[in-house]
Amino acid sequence: MVNPSLLIAVPLAFAFSIPLFGLVSKKIGKYIPVVALLINVGISFILIPQILKKPAVVSIGGWSPPFCINLVVGPLGVFLVTLISSIGLLVAIYAISYIKEEPTEKYHMLFLLLITGATGIVLTGDIFNLFVFFEILCISSYALVAYNKDKEGTEAAMKYLIQGSVGSSFVLIGIALLYGMFGTLNMADIASRVTSADPTFLFISLAFLITGFGIEAAVFPLNAWLPDAHSSAPSSISAILSGIAIKTGVYGVARMIYTIFNADGILTFIAFLGLLTLLIGEMSAFRQNDIKRLLAYSSIGQIGLIVFALGIATSLGVFAGLFQIVSHALAKALLFLAAGYMIYRVGSKSIDSLSGLGRKMPLTSFAFTIGSFSLIGLPPFAGFISKFSIVYAAIQVKKPIFLVFVVIALIATVIEAGYFFKVVQNLYFKEGKNVDNVTETSGYIIVPMIILVISIIVIGIHPQFITGLLKGAAGELLGRTGYIGWVLGGS
Amino acid sequence: MVIKAVWIIVLPIIAFIIGVFFLGLSRKVIARIHRRYGPPIYQPVIDLIKLMNQKSISHGRLFDMGVILSLAGSIVLVLFIPFGGIAPLSGSGDFLVVLYLMLLAPLGVALSGGEGANPNISIGISRKMMLSLGYEVPLLFSILAVMTYYKTTSLVEITKAQQHLSWGVIYLPLPAIAYFMILPAMLGIRPFDIVSAPQEISSGPSVEYGGRYLALMTVEHAFHTFIVLALFVDLFLGGGNPFTFFVKMLVVFLLGLFIHAVFPRFRIDQAIKYCWKWPSILALAGLVIAYVVA
Amino acid sequence: MQLITILIVAFLGAGIVYLIGKISGKARDILAVLASLIVVILVSLAYNQKIYTSFYPLPFLNLSLTLRIDPLSWFFAIAVAGIGFLSILFSLEYMKHYQKLDFYYSMMLFVNAGMLGVVLSADFLSLYIFWEIMSWSTYLLISYKGGKAVGAGLKYIVMSTVGSIAMLFAIVSLYTSYGTLEFSSLASLLQTASSGYILFLLIMFIIGFGIKNAIWPLHTWLPDAHAEAVSPFSAVLSGILVRIGIYGFVLVMYSIVGLNLLHKLGYGLLNFNYILCWIGAISIIIGTFIALLQDDDKRLLAWHAIGQGGYMILGISFGTTLGIAGGIFHTLNHCIYIALLFLVTGAVEYRTGGVRDLNQLGGLIKKMPVTFIGGLIGISGLIGIPLTNGFVSKWLIYKTLIMEKHPFLAFVALIGTWGTILSVYKFLHNIFLGQLPEKYKDVKEVPWAMRLPMIILTSVIILFGILPGIPLNVISGIERSFGIKPLSTIIFGMPREIGELNIINILAAIVVAGVFIYLIFSLSTRSRRVNQYDNYAAGSFIPKDKYQYSVRFYDPVYRIIGPYLRDVVDDFYYWLVEKSKSFFQGVRQIYTGNVNTYALYILLFLAFLIITKIGWGLW
Repeated sequence: MVNPSLLIAVPLAFAFSIPLFGLVSKKIGKYIPVVALLINVGISFILIPQILKKPAVVSIGGWSPPFCINLVVGPLGVFLVTLISSIGLLVAIYAISYIKEEPTEKYHMLFLLLITGATGIVLTGDIFNLFVFFEILCISSYALVAYNKDKEGTEAAMKYLIQGSVGSSFVLIGIALLYGMFGTLNMADIASRVTSADPTFLFISLAFLITGFGIEAAVFPLNAWLPDAHSSAPSSISAILSGIAIKTGVYGVARMIYTIFNADGILTFIAFLGLLTLLIGEMSAFRQNDIKRLLAYSSIGQIGLIVFALGIATSLGVFAGLFQIVSHALAKALLFLAAGYMIYRVGSKSIDSLSGLGRKMPLTSFAFTIGSFSLIGLPPFAGFISKFSIVYAAIQVKKPIFLVFVVIALIATVIEAGYFFKVVQNLYFKEGKNVDNVTETSGYIIVPMIILVISIIVIGIHPQFITGLLKGAAGELLGRTGYIGWVLGGS
Repeated sequence: MVIKAVWIIVLPIIAFIIGVFFLGLSRKVIARIHRRYGPPIYQPVIDLIKLMNQKSISHGRLFDMGVILSLAGSIVLVLFIPFGGIAPLSGSGDFLVVLYLMLLAPLGVALSGGEGANPNISIGISRKMMLSLGYEVPLLFSILAVMTYYKTTSLVEITKAQQHLSWGVIYLPLPAIAYFMILPAMLGIRPFDIVSAPQEISSGPSVEYGGRYLALMTVEHAFHTFIVLALFVDLFLGGGNPFTFFVKMLVVFLLGLFIHAVFPRFRIDQAIKYCWKWPSILALAGLVIAYVVA
Repeated sequence: MQLITILIVAFLGAGIVYLIGKISGKARDILAVLASLIVVILVSLAYNQKIYTSFYPLPFLNLSLTLRIDPLSWFFAIAVAGIGFLSILFSLEYMKHYQKLDFYYSMMLFVNAGMLGVVLSADFLSLYIFWEIMSWSTYLLISYKGGKAVGAGLKYIVMSTVGSIAMLFAIVSLYTSYGTLEFSSLASLLQTASSGYILFLLIMFIIGFGIKNAIWPLHTWLPDAHAEAVSPFSAVLSGILVRIGIYGFVLVMYSIVGLNLLHKLGYGLLNFNYILCWIGAISIIIGTFIALLQDDDKRLLAWHAIGQGGYMILGISFGTTLGIAGGIFHTLNHCIYIALLFLVTGAVEYRTGGVRDLNQLGGLIKKMPVTFIGGLIGISGLIGIPLTNGFVSKWLIYKTLIMEKHPFLAFVALIGTWGTILSVYKFLHNIFLGQLPEKYKDVKEVPWAMRLPMIILTSVIILFGILPGIPLNVISGIERSFGIKPLSTIIFGMPREIGELNIINILAAIVVAGVFIYLIFSLSTRSRRVNQYDNYAAGSFIPKDKYQYSVRFYDPVYRIIGPYLRDVVDDFYYWLVEKSKSFFQGVRQIYTGNVNTYALYILLFLAFLIITKIGWGLW
């Protein structure tokens, strides 16, 4: 039985070791995240079958819950950790070659800290610990957004910082209110005692927490930082932010609503909020000329879809939302990686300058095409399975309001199809202007993209690889008594 | 079976004789209306014999084949239209087949003329197509009125139902009038001889024909006249036995000739507008009435 | 024989062709032809079998993907395989000057495979999956040519996506109501459904299939897409891809819902079937008459695809034995002759260097006789001249319309034929007849690889025209499988009870008459051959290149009906897209760029949550 706390300890330790290694050799720093994440991926894959049999609760410091800080590794946790580690590993490989601007060491250190933060968020069972890891994640991402040291990046990072700080403060206020009401910081403990408190007070705390986590989760109207941040960051960071960071925000919101507060009444509103985010995201993406902003707005849209699915409070709905998390993480990471490489070679971010790249950079363009097809939801890619499940879950609820929602969501798909297909056509079927000396050479960059392409196709054709894990994760989110039982030992 | 075979051979010959007779008759009657003597009634026969012995030019294989196809189509069509109750092949094709076999004749001329590479031919063919589009609208309305009223698509049954003086023109007056109004268009006589306008486009599709081609065209013209008149008599004037059939055809033809003798030529857009206006309205009204009554 | 073999061969063929193309061009060409030929053989081996296999389980959804062969799917599968094979054969020579040929051949095979998957599916999930695969591969192949084809491809895929989401909505709704997506189970389960629900399903499927089939008013993508794609692919597009929509129509309306239920939808004249018939009628008129106004030969044929699609919808929704048989037979016929006509335009383009403008061509019959014969027979089929297969299918449709007392629909069908006659005669005349321009003096006939598909298609048209009993037998089988009274046929036409149609007699009469006249013809005086410049010109001399009458061929008719024939639906869609674009631009302005606004948004959201709770207790 591997200790799950290694999942957090390993990246943290390696992060702080990077400056030490830097004293020895400048070049070794960029391989460290790969090593760290390789270990993490290994551990999470080993953990999956064990956790599916029996979830693990690891207490730190020898005390027993609810008095200690503990890690609760259930199916949801191990699923998210696997996703985070895998995507992180691929982006780290990409970054070996992609990150050239000094100071590269600091980049890799901050990157590992970001991964630590994300892993900590999904594994912890203590609410203040959650806040701590959340802050680690946010602060690392503020710094990484500004990494390129240009005007755009700095401005975006500043805006992100301001809004993110507001969010973190709200989370802190919410936690303080909870502590004031219950006197404990353990999530399971709060969950078991939540019925005994004043509903209004409880709701105010929930509102603060939703708003706070919602800013990181990028739901409308809290997501205004996202287009700037994701488009000005270096592409590997955009991939991580779009693929991982905002998912942890969604995890935070979901954990609050489902497990701790058991607030079923607000779920329809959450679904509606998700739908609104989806619509506004896709519509704003439509006329973009800058490829990274287009992908950022598309991320907003897809998060809206995930939140919408999670708001359908049935097991199928949550399953569909989690599947969409996987498919979006894979596809968006792939898209940002491919777009980043293309921008690097061509030197400009506008979509028109990407014309004709299908000939010169065939693998990258192919990867981009596969990613966009998966995002739109075309068979035989992963996005189709997730979209189908979402539509199925929404219609199965048999409430007329959800039928209307589904129709609107499908219309948003048409809008999405409109702009993605145009970009794909640009790549392949339009004449390139000054692409004569563009080539595809670096192996470190190509390999992660190929692995992502293969995973998208494989999951699309044979979703059984992950459906078992996802069903378990959905069960955990919906079954709060089970969660409480694991931590507090039955009752 | 034997009788059928006999009629299959004899009927086209009868049609040929009647058609040629009508051609000659037309020239004589028009001349008389114009207060001149006119050529003898057997003039077309003399013309045919002369033309068959004349040399001519040809523009290619299709030029030959098109003319043959056109005449073959017309001859075959005769076998499907009841002539006084005789219709040897009507068991193999009903009215719809007749309507579509009527396409073979202009198609043949169009193809052969196409190889002729003369713009007069092309203009003539395009006028023919446009004129056909024009008169098809009222024609289809009246034909559909007849078929709806008698609930059948077989010409033999339509004529059978009109025995004993219960002619179609009595029960379906509006379609009959509409059909009569476009009869000159179908026959290609004034005011609708736009297709072969001799002074304008030098006889249109027949400008390059000489000798045997012109002979075959004349024969085709004869058959075409016969077919159009026979159709009108079958649909609206009751079939009758061959002799009364011939008399009815003669009456209708003479009426058409009287119009032809005194009218000038339409322009093609005037012709189309004419066909799409009153004949169509009358025929449509007739169709609605037939639909409601039947 | 396993059904899945056909699909595996088809899909793998596409992949292997792409990879081999990287090594050798010649091997790729041969392999492409071979792959499509093997698919044709495999499909024909499946004739008259009834197979049903489940080939891919999806346990998390409690579904599995299934395939089947029954008369309807075999009929369409053989058409798909045949036209695909002939187009690839044609492409061997035609595509010689294009680039990215690996992509082209593998995509052609991929589209083929997708279409086969659609017609072989036995449940809606497989149908949807293969439908989407077919759609996006078609989009890639339309855009392949570059230039104007890119816009056409985008228009196609966006409209196709709208159709797909309508279908997805209906499919998931079926799944939630009945728990299964297989056609056979749904057929029995739907008998107990309410008419409102069935109407909803039918409308969703009609939107989905109708956009693919391009019935009015969902047709606006078709003229651009078919005209701008490369000619062999236009043949596949017009011929069989749009008819997959008809397959869908027949499947949903007759295999699943069934004729009895259909008749119960609606009151009196406002019957579902009747409205669909009129939609078909409008498509006929709009398609064939707008084709009249076109100057580009491929656009003319594309508008005909819309018009003839109207005939199919008219026949199929009419609901009688003859009507359904006529509609389905017309699908097959149309696919043959429109493929032939697109191959003809492709051949002309190939030899004249890409000329598609009808006003510039002329007189090519002397240089390309085989192509001309192909064009002539194709046109005869399109018009429906007796002795071609088009005549039999149209005859069936007219007959049933008249006999069932619907003369107004019959009028529309008949006048549509006249619109067809005018427009395709213009097509034939402007390309092949008339004076041969100087610049095309050295045009030669196309190579045998391009001639062979045209000859094959020509013979099929005539064969099915003279012996219509062969395909009609298969169609009776289809009707029997729907539980409708099947069509009784004899090999040469229709037996007496239904009506009079005996093609062999007509053929014999024409042949005998023709031979007889030919004898008279040859007995009279010989004629001498002259060239095209020895023509009547009223005494003046024949100018070169100015003696061809083809521009504005039907000018008076244009002036009369032109103003009424603008494609208002297309204009409406463009207006809709423009308005949406400006709306989207406005929506993006929510993100003002000013971080103070953003902070305000956050605070407002929080306030909203708390106030609504305290004020109205909503949560």
